[in-house]
Amino acid sequence: MRLKTSHLKEPKHKELVSCVGWTTPDELYSCSDDHHIMKWNLLTSETTQVVKLPDDIYPIDLHWFPKNIGGKKQSQAESFVLTSSDGKFHLISKIGRVEKSVEAHCGAVLAGRWNYEGTALVTVGEDGQIKIWSKSGMLRSTLAQQGTPVYSVAWGPDSEKVLYTSGKQLIIKPLQPNAKVLQWKAHDGVILKLDWNSVNDLILSAGEDCKYKVWDSYGRLLYSSQPHDYPITSVAWAPDGELFAVGSFHTLRLCDKTGWSYALEKPNTGSIFNIAWSTDGTQIAGACGNGHVIFAHVVEQRWEWKNFEITLTKRRTMEVRNVVNDAVDLLEFRDRVIKASLNYGHLVVSTSLQCYVFSTKNWNTPLIFDLKEGTVSLILQAERHFLLIDGGGIYLYSYEGRLISSPKFPGMRTDVLNAQTVSLSNDTLAIKDKADEKVIYLFEALSGKPLGDGKPLTHKTEITEIALDQKGLTNERKIVFIDKNRDLYITSVKRFGKEQKIIKIGTMTHTLAWNDTSNILCGLQDTRFTVWYYPNTVYVDKDLLPKTLYEKDASEFSKNPQIVRFVGNQATIRRADGSLIHLNISPYPAILHEYVSSSKWEDAVRLCRFVKTTTAYEDQTMWACLAAMAVANKDMTTAEIAYASIGDIDKVQYINSIKELPSKESRMAHILLFSGNIQDAEMLLLQAGLIYQAIQVNINLYNWDRALELAVKHKTHVDTVLGYRQKFLEDFGKKETNKRFLQYAEGLEVDWDKIKAKIEMEIAKERERAAATPAVRASVTVQH
Amino acid sequence: MAKGILGDARLHFDELNKLRILDPEVAQQTTELKEECKAFVDKIAEFQKIVGSLIELVDQLAKAAENEKMKAIGARNLLKSIAKQREAQQQQLQALITEKKMQLERYRVEYETLCKIEADQNEFIDQFIFQK
Repeated sequence: MRLKTSHLKEPKHKELVSCVGWTTPDELYSCSDDHHIMKWNLLTSETTQVVKLPDDIYPIDLHWFPKNIGGKKQSQAESFVLTSSDGKFHLISKIGRVEKSVEAHCGAVLAGRWNYEGTALVTVGEDGQIKIWSKSGMLRSTLAQQGTPVYSVAWGPDSEKVLYTSGKQLIIKPLQPNAKVLQWKAHDGVILKLDWNSVNDLILSAGEDCKYKVWDSYGRLLYSSQPHDYPITSVAWAPDGELFAVGSFHTLRLCDKTGWSYALEKPNTGSIFNIAWSTDGTQIAGACGNGHVIFAHVVEQRWEWKNFEITLTKRRTMEVRNVVNDAVDLLEFRDRVIKASLNYGHLVVSTSLQCYVFSTKNWNTPLIFDLKEGTVSLILQAERHFLLIDGGGIYLYSYEGRLISSPKFPGMRTDVLNAQTVSLSNDTLAIKDKADEKVIYLFEALSGKPLGDGKPLTHKTEITEIALDQKGLTNERKIVFIDKNRDLYITSVKRFGKEQKIIKIGTMTHTLAWNDTSNILCGLQDTRFTVWYYPNTVYVDKDLLPKTLYEKDASEFSKNPQIVRFVGNQATIRRADGSLIHLNISPYPAILHEYVSSSKWEDAVRLCRFVKTTTAYEDQTMWACLAAMAVANKDMTTAEIAYASIGDIDKVQYINSIKELPSKESRMAHILLFSGNIQDAEMLLLQAGLIYQAIQVNINLYNWDRALELAVKHKTHVDTVLGYRQKFLEDFGKKETNKRFLQYAEGLEVDWDKIKAKIEMEIAKERERAAATPAVRASVTVQH
Repeated sequence: MAKGILGDARLHFDELNKLRILDPEVAQQTTELKEECKAFVDKIAEFQKIVGSLIELVDQLAKAAENEKMKAIGARNLLKSIAKQREAQQQQLQALITEKKMQLERYRVEYETLCKIEADQNEFIDQFIFQK
């Protein structure tokens, strides 16, 4: 990726340009010390003077009033706030009329920022005060006061907090009084500029120590740059939070959100005092010390998928390279390319007016449809459809260009969604809530309706990243997420009936990705690269999970690596310094997944045996995966073989004992028990009328209360329960303390002969019943 | 006698026997003096002209010399600033080179991992063939 810069030969402003701001993707306003406000139209390349301010106003900072306010959309911003050196801020309309001037600070007003909703304005000044103003310019409060000038200020993503500079320190102060203030030393020199992105919640700071730094919102340092030759005078996040720009003397830099630099330009500009990203995030404008306004386009983005490599060579041109045969196709677009995504054999490109869908099989005839609103902020792809997110909503399209659905939830804010907070699979869409970060909304992709009973998935702590698995049946759709403590959890998205368990499968997880062709998950845990070959194992046999993992030391990847993609059997990881690392994952588990999904159990067993003969270290993993898969699909023969191969003799024995059970229902129930689904097992038995078996299950689990409850409710085997209870108490030398048991024990005499006879009878009865319905047995996968 | 009388009356006759108040000798001397004076004035004027043109010339020379001097100073300054400019340019280029080096390092790392994958896959293929 690189920046293509351009500026006029002669500067339009006579003095230094202090600030710039975009209204639309093609229109920019700039203010200068020569008191002029200029308007730059990039479509017509015209520069016109909007207004000449009075001679005593030296502009310092400008910020446009936000566009989207409470769902009401305006096509463009209508007014802006301009702060000046005489201690005032001015609300100025688009045509240049000064609507209001407000005496705000003693000394210059160094920065002014609207919050995201446009309900409040914060200004900071040389007098060290931070003041909050209403939309109309009435003073609401003085948030803080300090001895040193405040050079820069930014709102938090939820507009509840304000970040500002205090000499070498950064301070985050919530608007609520008495809330905890976060303060830390960030630089060795005075901090000149900062920015806080609403999408990724990361903070940028730059100062006179010639460095720029990236922080998370808890004040943890994520990246610190090498010292430059001159102080860094400006930093700015791109709207989508994937990139940021850094400006210094004769220097313009484009960086990734993790801090490493994509490109460096050395234009002849003097110091760049202010940088603004256009609203679609494709270009930046810089306010230069020598009176120039510099424009820079982001070009040469690259997308890779299997054997295709796509580069955005110019604003409207893409070059597609097929690495296998070196064929090159050029794709031309009518408008500027804003976003693109390449996955699942399709390339989706959004320009300012249209959306193009290409198939990798045919680059010549794209499918084109018009977009409702220009600026698409995110494209997500699944195998069968893709998701477009713009300022107005979320739209699911098929690859034929048909609008499938448009999911909504109350309080939805689409401008803060990114690939970590939205996940799409063939049948499900998951969106993390921004207002309550513990909540994930789940939608049926095809209808756009909330899934199941409509209740969102709620976790006990804040969630940072979510991902849906891509393959398999809708009923078994799983979602994994990482929470604030960096723990990795898995749960099922189907939420009707009983509450699905949220099970922790990893700790210290920074990043994760599902495979595109099978339900294999990979992630980075602390310093280990881990592949969960069959994450569903936790629902089948939790003890087996460690055996289904592949782990590799990842300390060589340095700090904070990110998984970029996991396609086929290759995982791609980006290190903190920006270099890509490709890792090969064994192809066998994917093949195993394939066999199992088509119920080819014999092939699966053969595959595992084959792997055993070739690579000794893998076979345990393969057998463990197969065991879990077999149990999940209730194929006990295969499970038995697999468990035997990994030496879990106890489990083999249990499976054998299941096989000997007389009826289909009890076998099913015991398979459920095997996976730890006690409630399901009991329910199944009760439904089949096998009351005694249900009671026995509870007795075996020492679940005495439930056993007695069942016995009393169905008026049978109360003596059996009491008998076993007595025996249990005698074995451990204890006295009965449970009131209910005491109550029932009073009127009953335990007679073991009678109990045994009754049990015999029950088993015989069950056998008879099973024999009476032999046709059903054939459909059961349990075979002898 | 007449002469004497005339002499007493301060009158004189010249050669042409015209009556003269001034002694003809003196008159002639006066005329000569006048002639000489005229010549002198003419000569002085000419001299002045010559000197004037000389001064002009010298002035011009001075101006030219001054010009050249300024030029020389300018050139010297330019030379100095060019050295500085070069230094700045060098600095800029150095920064660009560092950037490219970092990019190269990234590509090198990526290439290495790709090579490793290739080796892995070759090994896998070999293994597969031998198995069959």
